[in-house]
Amino acid sequence: MNKNPTVVVVDDEDMVLTSVRAFLSLETEYEIQTFLEPERAVEFLRNNLAEVIVSDYLMPGMTGIQFLARARELQPEAPRVLLTGHADKQSAIEAINQVGLFHYLEKPWDNEQLLLIVNNAIERASLFRELKEKIAELSTANSSLKAVQARLLKAFL
Amino acid sequence: MVGARDLDASKMAALGSLLAGVIHDIGTPVGAILSNNQVVLRALDKLKDALAAPQPDVAAALKRLEILRSLAEVDRLACSRIGALVRSLKTFARADDVDASDADLNAELAETVRLVQAGFGKRIAIQTEFGEIPLVHCWVRRLHLVFLNLLVNAGQAIEGEGKIVIRTARDGDRVIISISDSGHGISPENQAKLFSTAFTTKPSGVGTGLGLMIVREVVADLHGGALRVESEMGKGTTFHVSLPLRQKSTE
Ligand SMILES: Nc1ncnc2c1ncn2[C@@H]1O[C@H](COP(=O)(O)OP(=O)(O)O)[C@@H](O)[C@H]1O
Ligand SMILES: [Mg+2]
Repeated sequence: MNKNPTVVVVDDEDMVLTSVRAFLSLETEYEIQTFLEPERAVEFLRNNLAEVIVSDYLMPGMTGIQFLARARELQPEAPRVLLTGHADKQSAIEAINQVGLFHYLEKPWDNEQLLLIVNNAIERASLFRELKEKIAELSTANSSLKAVQARLLKAFL
Repeated sequence: MVGARDLDASKMAALGSLLAGVIHDIGTPVGAILSNNQVVLRALDKLKDALAAPQPDVAAALKRLEILRSLAEVDRLACSRIGALVRSLKTFARADDVDASDADLNAELAETVRLVQAGFGKRIAIQTEFGEIPLVHCWVRRLHLVFLNLLVNAGQAIEGEGKIVIRTARDGDRVIISISDSGHGISPENQAKLFSTAFTTKPSGVGTGLGLMIVREVVADLHGGALRVESEMGKGTTFHVSLPLRQKSTE
Protein backbone atom coordinates (compact mmCIF):
# COMPACT_ATOMS: atom_id res chain seq x y z
CA MET A 1 0.00 0.00 0.00
CA ASN A 2 2.04 2.91 -1.26
CA LYS A 3 -0.53 5.60 -1.81
CA ASN A 4 -0.51 8.74 0.32
CA PRO A 5 -2.51 8.46 3.53
CA THR A 6 -6.07 9.72 3.29
CA VAL A 7 -7.50 12.23 5.76
CA VAL A 8 -11.28 12.52 5.86
CA VAL A 9 -12.66 15.82 7.23
CA VAL A 10 -16.37 16.43 7.83
CA ASP A 11 -17.84 19.81 8.81
CA ASP A 12 -20.99 21.59 7.75
CA GLU A 13 -19.01 24.84 7.45
CA ASP A 14 -17.36 25.29 4.10
CA MET A 15 -15.03 27.77 5.76
CA VAL A 16 -13.64 25.17 8.12
CA LEU A 17 -13.19 22.60 5.38
CA THR A 18 -11.30 24.99 3.12
CA SER A 19 -9.07 26.15 5.97
CA VAL A 20 -8.18 22.63 7.05
CA ARG A 21 -7.63 21.50 3.49
CA ALA A 22 -5.37 24.48 2.75
CA PHE A 23 -3.31 23.92 5.88
CA LEU A 24 -2.89 20.17 5.54
CA SER A 25 -2.12 20.27 1.84
CA LEU A 26 0.51 22.92 2.48
CA GLU A 27 2.22 20.98 5.26
CA THR A 28 1.75 17.38 4.14
CA GLU A 29 1.38 15.11 1.12
CA TYR A 30 -1.77 13.52 2.50
CA GLU A 31 -4.82 13.15 0.37
CA ILE A 32 -7.48 15.38 1.93
CA GLN A 33 -11.11 14.40 1.43
CA THR A 34 -13.60 16.97 2.73
CA PHE A 35 -17.35 16.56 3.15
CA LEU A 36 -20.09 19.03 4.05
CA GLU A 37 -22.52 16.20 4.72
CA PRO A 38 -21.74 13.28 7.01
CA GLU A 39 -23.85 10.96 4.81
CA ARG A 40 -21.46 11.61 1.94
CA ALA A 41 -18.48 10.78 4.08
CA VAL A 42 -20.10 7.51 5.15
CA GLU A 43 -20.53 6.66 1.48
CA PHE A 44 -16.88 7.47 0.84
CA LEU A 45 -15.75 5.31 3.75
CA ARG A 46 -17.78 2.40 2.46
CA ASN A 47 -15.65 2.31 -0.69
CA ASN A 48 -12.31 3.86 0.25
CA LEU A 49 -9.72 3.38 2.93
CA ALA A 50 -8.97 6.30 5.23
CA GLU A 51 -6.13 6.66 7.72
CA VAL A 52 -7.80 9.26 9.95
CA ILE A 53 -11.30 10.69 10.23
CA VAL A 54 -11.91 14.19 11.58
CA SER A 55 -15.46 15.35 12.27
CA ASP A 56 -17.31 18.39 13.52
CA TYR A 57 -19.71 17.75 16.40
CA LEU A 58 -22.89 19.70 15.63
CA MET A 59 -24.14 19.10 12.10
CA PRO A 60 -27.67 18.94 10.73
CA GLY A 61 -28.90 15.44 10.05
CA MET A 62 -26.27 13.54 11.99
CA THR A 63 -24.09 14.55 14.94
CA GLY A 64 -20.36 14.03 14.83
CA ILE A 65 -20.76 11.25 17.37
CA GLN A 66 -23.30 9.41 15.24
CA PHE A 67 -21.11 9.85 12.21
CA LEU A 68 -17.98 8.62 13.95
CA ALA A 69 -19.91 5.60 15.23
CA ARG A 70 -20.72 4.72 11.61
CA ALA A 71 -17.13 5.37 10.62
CA ARG A 72 -15.98 3.03 13.36
CA GLU A 73 -18.19 0.24 12.05
CA LEU A 74 -16.85 0.72 8.53
CA GLN A 75 -13.18 1.24 9.34
CA PRO A 76 -12.44 0.42 12.96
CA GLU A 77 -8.69 0.90 12.55
CA ALA A 78 -8.91 4.52 11.33
CA PRO A 79 -8.55 6.79 14.38
CA ARG A 80 -11.39 9.24 14.96
CA VAL A 81 -10.96 12.89 15.91
CA LEU A 82 -13.80 15.14 17.04
CA LEU A 83 -13.85 18.93 16.54
CA THR A 84 -16.10 20.66 19.04
CA GLY A 85 -17.21 24.11 20.04
CA HIS A 86 -16.45 25.02 23.62
CA ALA A 87 -20.12 24.71 24.61
CA ASP A 88 -20.27 21.11 23.40
CA LYS A 89 -17.22 20.02 25.33
CA GLN A 90 -19.14 18.07 27.96
CA SER A 91 -21.12 16.04 25.44
CA ALA A 92 -17.93 15.43 23.54
CA ILE A 93 -16.21 14.05 26.61
CA GLU A 94 -19.16 11.80 27.32
CA ALA A 95 -18.92 10.52 23.77
CA ILE A 96 -15.27 9.61 23.91
CA ASN A 97 -16.00 6.07 25.08
CA GLN A 98 -19.05 5.71 22.89
CA VAL A 99 -17.06 5.90 19.66
CA GLY A 100 -13.56 5.14 20.89
CA LEU A 101 -12.33 8.63 20.16
CA PHE A 102 -8.62 9.05 19.45
CA HIS A 103 -8.66 12.75 20.27
CA TYR A 104 -10.87 15.76 20.42
CA LEU A 105 -9.97 19.31 19.46
CA GLU A 106 -11.73 22.40 20.63
CA LYS A 107 -12.65 25.07 18.09
CA PRO A 108 -10.98 27.37 17.26
CA TRP A 109 -8.32 24.74 16.87
CA ASP A 110 -4.58 25.23 16.75
CA ASN A 111 -3.18 24.17 13.38
CA GLU A 112 0.05 22.79 14.83
CA GLN A 113 -1.91 20.65 17.23
CA LEU A 114 -4.19 19.46 14.46
CA LEU A 115 -1.16 18.42 12.44
CA LEU A 116 0.34 16.58 15.39
CA ILE A 117 -2.87 14.68 16.04
CA VAL A 118 -3.34 13.83 12.38
CA ASN A 119 0.26 12.60 12.08
CA ASN A 120 -0.06 10.44 15.18
CA ALA A 121 -3.38 9.08 14.03
CA ILE A 122 -1.98 8.12 10.65
CA GLU A 123 0.96 6.39 12.21
CA ARG A 124 -1.38 4.47 14.44
CA ALA A 125 -3.66 3.49 11.57
CA SER A 126 -0.77 2.14 9.52
CA LEU A 127 0.57 0.24 12.54
CA PHE A 128 -2.85 -1.28 13.06
CA ARG A 129 -3.20 -2.26 9.44
CA GLU A 130 0.30 -3.69 9.36
CA LEU A 131 -0.48 -5.67 12.46
CA LYS A 132 -3.68 -6.93 10.88
CA GLU A 133 -1.74 -8.03 7.80
CA LYS A 134 0.84 -9.79 9.92
CA ILE A 135 -1.86 -11.57 11.87
CA ALA A 136 -3.50 -12.60 8.62
CA GLU A 137 -0.13 -13.84 7.35
CA LEU A 138 0.41 -15.70 10.59
CA SER A 139 -2.93 -17.41 10.36
CA THR A 140 -2.29 -18.43 6.73
CA ALA A 141 1.11 -19.70 7.82
CA ASN A 142 -0.56 -21.44 10.69
CA SER A 143 -3.13 -23.18 8.53
CA SER A 144 -0.52 -24.29 6.00
CA LEU A 145 1.54 -25.59 8.92
CA LYS A 146 -1.51 -27.47 10.09
CA ALA A 147 -1.93 -28.94 6.62
CA VAL A 148 1.68 -30.05 6.60
CA GLN A 149 1.25 -31.49 10.03
CA ALA A 150 -1.83 -33.39 8.91
CA ARG A 151 0.03 -34.76 5.89
CA LEU A 152 2.98 -35.74 8.07
CA LEU A 153 0.73 -37.53 10.46
CA LYS A 154 -0.97 -39.34 7.60
CA ALA A 155 2.36 -40.32 6.12
CA PHE A 156 3.75 -41.71 9.33
CA LEU A 157 0.76 -43.26 10.95
CA MET B 1 -48.49 52.30 27.96
CA VAL B 2 -45.22 50.45 27.73
CA GLY B 3 -42.40 52.49 29.16
CA ALA B 4 -38.87 52.72 27.80
CA ARG B 5 -37.68 50.53 30.65
CA ASP B 6 -39.99 47.67 29.68
CA LEU B 7 -38.97 48.07 26.07
CA ASP B 8 -35.34 47.74 27.04
CA ALA B 9 -35.95 44.88 29.45
CA SER B 10 -37.80 42.79 26.88
CA LYS B 11 -35.25 43.59 24.21
CA MET B 12 -32.35 42.57 26.41
CA ALA B 13 -34.11 39.38 27.49
CA ALA B 14 -34.83 38.40 23.89
CA LEU B 15 -31.34 39.28 22.67
CA GLY B 16 -29.80 37.60 25.70
CA SER B 17 -31.44 34.31 24.83
CA LEU B 18 -29.71 34.46 21.44
CA LEU B 19 -26.31 35.45 22.73
CA ALA B 20 -24.60 32.07 23.03
CA GLY B 21 -25.51 31.16 19.47
CA VAL B 22 -24.50 34.55 18.10
CA ILE B 23 -21.13 34.32 19.82
CA HIS B 24 -20.63 30.87 18.36
CA ASP B 25 -21.49 32.17 14.90
CA ILE B 26 -18.99 34.98 15.19
CA GLY B 27 -16.39 32.63 16.67
CA THR B 28 -16.34 30.30 13.69
CA PRO B 29 -15.35 32.89 11.06
CA VAL B 30 -12.96 34.61 13.46
CA GLY B 31 -11.30 31.25 14.11
CA ALA B 32 -11.05 30.63 10.37
CA ILE B 33 -9.44 34.01 9.74
CA LEU B 34 -6.93 33.54 12.55
CA SER B 35 -6.01 30.08 11.38
CA ASN B 36 -5.74 31.24 7.78
CA ASN B 37 -3.43 34.04 8.73
CA GLN B 38 -0.84 31.56 10.04
CA VAL B 39 -1.24 29.42 6.98
CA VAL B 40 -0.85 32.39 4.62
CA LEU B 41 2.49 33.25 6.20
CA ARG B 42 3.68 29.64 5.90
CA ALA B 43 2.47 29.45 2.31
CA LEU B 44 4.34 32.65 1.43
CA ASP B 45 7.55 31.24 2.93
CA LYS B 46 7.15 28.07 0.92
CA LEU B 47 6.30 30.03 -2.20
CA LYS B 48 9.51 31.97 -1.78
CA ASP B 49 11.48 28.75 -1.29
CA ALA B 50 10.00 27.31 -4.46
CA LEU B 51 10.84 30.40 -6.50
CA ALA B 52 14.22 31.22 -4.99
CA ALA B 53 15.67 27.75 -5.55
CA PRO B 54 18.40 27.50 -8.21
CA GLN B 55 15.91 25.42 -10.21
CA PRO B 56 12.61 27.21 -9.47
CA ASP B 57 9.84 24.67 -8.84
CA VAL B 58 6.96 26.13 -10.81
CA ALA B 59 4.54 23.32 -10.01
CA ALA B 60 5.09 23.74 -6.27
CA ALA B 61 4.76 27.51 -6.57
CA LEU B 62 1.48 27.19 -8.43
CA LYS B 63 0.13 24.77 -5.84
CA ARG B 64 0.92 27.29 -3.10
CA LEU B 65 -0.70 30.10 -5.06
CA GLU B 66 -3.80 27.97 -5.34
CA ILE B 67 -3.81 27.50 -1.57
CA LEU B 68 -3.37 31.23 -1.01
CA ARG B 69 -6.29 31.96 -3.29
CA SER B 70 -8.58 29.53 -1.45
CA LEU B 71 -7.62 31.15 1.86
CA ALA B 72 -8.41 34.62 0.55
CA GLU B 73 -11.80 33.31 -0.53
CA VAL B 74 -12.50 31.91 2.95
CA ASP B 75 -11.43 35.16 4.59
CA ARG B 76 -13.77 37.14 2.37
CA LEU B 77 -16.64 34.83 3.29
CA ALA B 78 -15.74 34.94 6.97
CA CYS B 79 -15.63 38.75 7.00
CA SER B 80 -18.96 39.06 5.27
CA ARG B 81 -20.52 36.62 7.75
CA ILE B 82 -19.26 38.64 10.69
CA GLY B 83 -20.29 41.89 9.03
CA ALA B 84 -23.81 40.64 8.41
CA LEU B 85 -24.25 39.54 12.01
CA VAL B 86 -22.94 42.83 13.34
CA ARG B 87 -25.36 44.67 11.03
CA SER B 88 -28.31 42.70 12.37
CA LEU B 89 -27.19 43.37 15.93
CA LYS B 90 -26.95 47.06 15.12
CA THR B 91 -30.64 47.25 14.24
CA PHE B 92 -31.29 46.63 17.92
CA ALA B 93 -28.79 49.10 19.28
CA ARG B 94 -31.51 51.75 19.35
CA ALA B 95 -35.17 50.88 19.32
CA ASP B 96 -36.64 54.36 19.18
CA ASP B 97 -37.37 55.81 15.78
CA VAL B 98 -39.06 59.13 16.20
CA ASP B 99 -40.50 59.38 12.71
CA ALA B 100 -42.17 56.73 10.65
CA SER B 101 -40.54 55.96 7.30
CA ASP B 102 -41.08 53.72 4.32
CA ALA B 103 -39.59 50.29 4.87
CA ASP B 104 -39.19 47.07 2.92
CA LEU B 105 -40.44 44.68 5.58
CA ASN B 106 -39.17 41.59 3.77
CA ALA B 107 -35.64 42.98 4.00
CA GLU B 108 -36.12 44.04 7.61
CA LEU B 109 -37.45 40.61 8.53
CA ALA B 110 -34.49 38.96 6.83
CA GLU B 111 -32.19 41.05 9.01
CA THR B 112 -33.87 39.84 12.20
CA VAL B 113 -33.99 36.28 10.91
CA ARG B 114 -30.22 36.26 10.43
CA LEU B 115 -29.68 37.12 14.06
CA VAL B 116 -32.30 34.74 15.37
CA GLN B 117 -30.99 31.91 13.20
CA ALA B 118 -27.51 32.46 14.59
CA GLY B 119 -28.98 32.43 18.07
CA PHE B 120 -30.88 29.17 17.65
CA GLY B 121 -28.15 27.47 15.67
CA LYS B 122 -28.89 24.23 13.91
CA ARG B 123 -31.64 23.23 16.32
CA ILE B 124 -34.22 25.22 14.39
CA ALA B 125 -34.69 25.66 10.67
CA ILE B 126 -36.15 29.04 9.75
CA GLN B 127 -37.90 29.14 6.42
CA THR B 128 -39.03 32.37 4.76
CA GLU B 129 -41.82 32.58 2.23
CA PHE B 130 -41.85 36.27 1.39
CA GLY B 131 -44.57 37.51 -0.90
CA GLU B 132 -44.40 40.67 -2.96
CA ILE B 133 -45.34 43.47 -0.63
CA PRO B 134 -45.17 47.23 -1.08
CA LEU B 135 -43.17 49.53 1.18
CA VAL B 136 -44.86 50.03 4.52
CA HIS B 137 -44.89 53.37 6.29
CA CYS B 138 -43.88 52.38 9.81
CA TRP B 139 -41.64 52.75 12.84
CA VAL B 140 -39.22 50.16 11.63
CA ARG B 141 -37.04 49.84 14.73
CA ARG B 142 -40.11 49.14 16.81
CA LEU B 143 -41.16 46.52 14.29
CA HIS B 144 -37.77 44.84 14.63
CA LEU B 145 -38.63 44.35 18.30
CA VAL B 146 -41.95 42.80 17.30
CA PHE B 147 -40.26 40.35 14.92
CA LEU B 148 -37.56 39.61 17.47
CA ASN B 149 -40.02 38.86 20.26
CA LEU B 150 -42.27 36.70 18.10
CA LEU B 151 -39.32 34.74 16.71
CA VAL B 152 -37.69 34.21 20.08
CA ASN B 153 -41.02 33.04 21.53
CA ALA B 154 -41.40 30.65 18.59
CA GLY B 155 -37.92 29.23 19.13
CA GLN B 156 -38.44 28.90 22.88
CA ALA B 157 -41.67 26.98 22.29
CA ILE B 158 -39.76 24.33 20.36
CA GLU B 159 -38.13 21.58 22.37
CA GLY B 160 -35.28 19.95 20.51
CA GLU B 161 -35.38 20.34 16.76
CA GLY B 162 -38.11 22.16 14.91
CA LYS B 163 -39.11 24.63 12.30
CA ILE B 164 -40.27 28.22 12.01
CA VAL B 165 -41.95 29.53 8.86
CA ILE B 166 -42.29 33.25 8.16
CA ARG B 167 -44.71 34.40 5.49
CA THR B 168 -45.51 37.86 4.19
CA ALA B 169 -48.37 38.82 1.90
CA ARG B 170 -50.34 41.85 0.80
CA ASP B 171 -53.98 42.03 1.77
CA GLY B 172 -55.53 45.12 0.21
CA ASP B 173 -54.20 48.19 2.03
CA ARG B 174 -52.45 46.01 4.61
CA VAL B 175 -49.57 43.59 4.81
CA ILE B 176 -49.80 40.38 6.79
CA ILE B 177 -46.78 38.85 8.45
CA SER B 178 -47.26 35.34 9.79
CA ILE B 179 -44.83 33.51 12.02
CA SER B 180 -45.52 29.80 12.53
CA ASP B 181 -43.65 27.45 14.78
CA SER B 182 -43.73 23.70 15.36
CA GLY B 183 -43.63 24.25 19.11
CA HIS B 184 -45.73 23.02 22.02
CA GLY B 185 -48.66 25.35 21.37
CA ILE B 186 -50.70 27.55 23.72
CA SER B 187 -53.71 26.32 25.67
CA PRO B 188 -56.99 28.18 25.02
CA GLU B 189 -56.89 29.32 28.62
CA ASN B 190 -53.44 30.88 28.18
CA GLN B 191 -54.32 32.36 24.80
CA ALA B 192 -56.72 34.67 26.60
CA LYS B 193 -53.95 35.99 28.82
CA LEU B 194 -51.17 36.27 26.24
CA PHE B 195 -51.08 40.00 25.80
CA SER B 196 -51.61 40.99 29.39
CA THR B 197 -48.84 42.51 31.43
CA ALA B 198 -46.14 40.19 32.73
CA PHE B 199 -47.88 36.95 31.74
CA THR B 200 -45.25 34.29 31.34
CA THR B 201 -45.05 30.52 31.62
CA LYS B 202 -41.27 30.53 31.49
CA PRO B 203 -38.95 30.29 34.48
CA SER B 204 -37.66 33.59 35.83
CA GLY B 205 -34.45 34.52 34.09
CA VAL B 206 -35.91 33.26 30.81
CA GLY B 207 -39.35 34.86 30.68
CA THR B 208 -40.31 38.43 31.51
CA GLY B 209 -43.83 38.38 30.17
CA LEU B 210 -43.12 41.72 28.50
CA GLY B 211 -42.60 40.49 24.95
CA LEU B 212 -46.15 40.14 23.72
CA MET B 213 -47.23 43.20 25.65
CA ILE B 214 -44.77 45.20 23.59
CA VAL B 215 -45.81 43.40 20.42
CA ARG B 216 -49.40 44.45 21.04
CA GLU B 217 -48.41 47.99 21.94
CA VAL B 218 -46.30 48.45 18.80
CA VAL B 219 -48.64 46.69 16.37
CA ALA B 220 -52.03 47.82 17.63
CA ASP B 221 -51.50 51.07 19.51
CA LEU B 222 -48.65 52.57 17.51
CA HIS B 223 -49.41 51.32 13.99
CA GLY B 224 -53.15 50.71 14.17
CA GLY B 225 -52.56 47.12 13.12
CA ALA B 226 -54.00 43.87 14.42
CA LEU B 227 -52.80 40.61 15.94
CA ARG B 228 -54.25 37.15 15.70
CA VAL B 229 -53.11 33.88 17.25
CA GLU B 230 -53.81 30.36 16.10
CA SER B 231 -52.53 27.52 18.16
CA GLU B 232 -52.94 23.82 18.62
CA MET B 233 -51.46 22.06 21.61
CA GLY B 234 -48.60 19.81 20.63
CA LYS B 235 -48.69 21.01 17.03
CA GLY B 236 -47.60 24.62 17.00
CA THR B 237 -48.57 28.26 16.93
CA THR B 238 -48.99 30.98 14.35
CA PHE B 239 -48.98 34.69 15.09
CA HIS B 240 -50.46 36.88 12.35
CA VAL B 241 -49.47 40.53 12.35
CA SER B 242 -51.49 42.81 10.11
CA LEU B 243 -50.18 46.31 9.41
CA PRO B 244 -51.70 49.17 7.43
CA LEU B 245 -49.54 50.34 4.51
CA ARG B 246 -50.02 54.00 5.45
CA GLN B 247 -50.13 55.88 8.70
CA LYS B 248 -52.91 58.48 8.73
CA SER B 249 -51.57 60.50 11.62
CA THR B 250 -48.13 61.19 10.18
CA GLU B 251 -48.95 62.12 6.62
N1 LIG C 1 -45.01 30.85 19.88
C1 LIG C 1 -45.41 30.51 21.12
N2 LIG C 1 -45.65 29.22 21.42
C2 LIG C 1 -46.06 28.87 22.66
N3 LIG C 1 -46.25 29.73 23.67
C3 LIG C 1 -46.04 31.03 23.43
C4 LIG C 1 -45.59 31.50 22.16
N4 LIG C 1 -45.47 32.84 22.21
C5 LIG C 1 -45.80 33.19 23.47
N5 LIG C 1 -46.14 32.12 24.21
C6 LIG C 1 -46.59 32.11 25.60
O1 LIG C 1 -46.88 33.43 25.96
C7 LIG C 1 -46.15 33.81 27.12
C8 LIG C 1 -45.86 35.28 27.08
O2 LIG C 1 -44.93 35.59 26.06
P1 LIG C 1 -44.08 36.92 26.18
O3 LIG C 1 -44.99 38.05 26.46
O4 LIG C 1 -43.21 37.02 25.00
O5 LIG C 1 -43.23 36.71 27.50
P2 LIG C 1 -42.05 35.67 27.77
O6 LIG C 1 -41.56 35.18 26.44
O7 LIG C 1 -41.03 36.49 28.46
O8 LIG C 1 -42.63 34.61 28.61
C9 LIG C 1 -44.96 32.91 27.12
O9 LIG C 1 -44.43 32.71 28.41
C10 LIG C 1 -45.52 31.62 26.54
O10 LIG C 1 -46.18 30.88 27.53
MG1 LIG D 1 -41.10 36.43 24.80
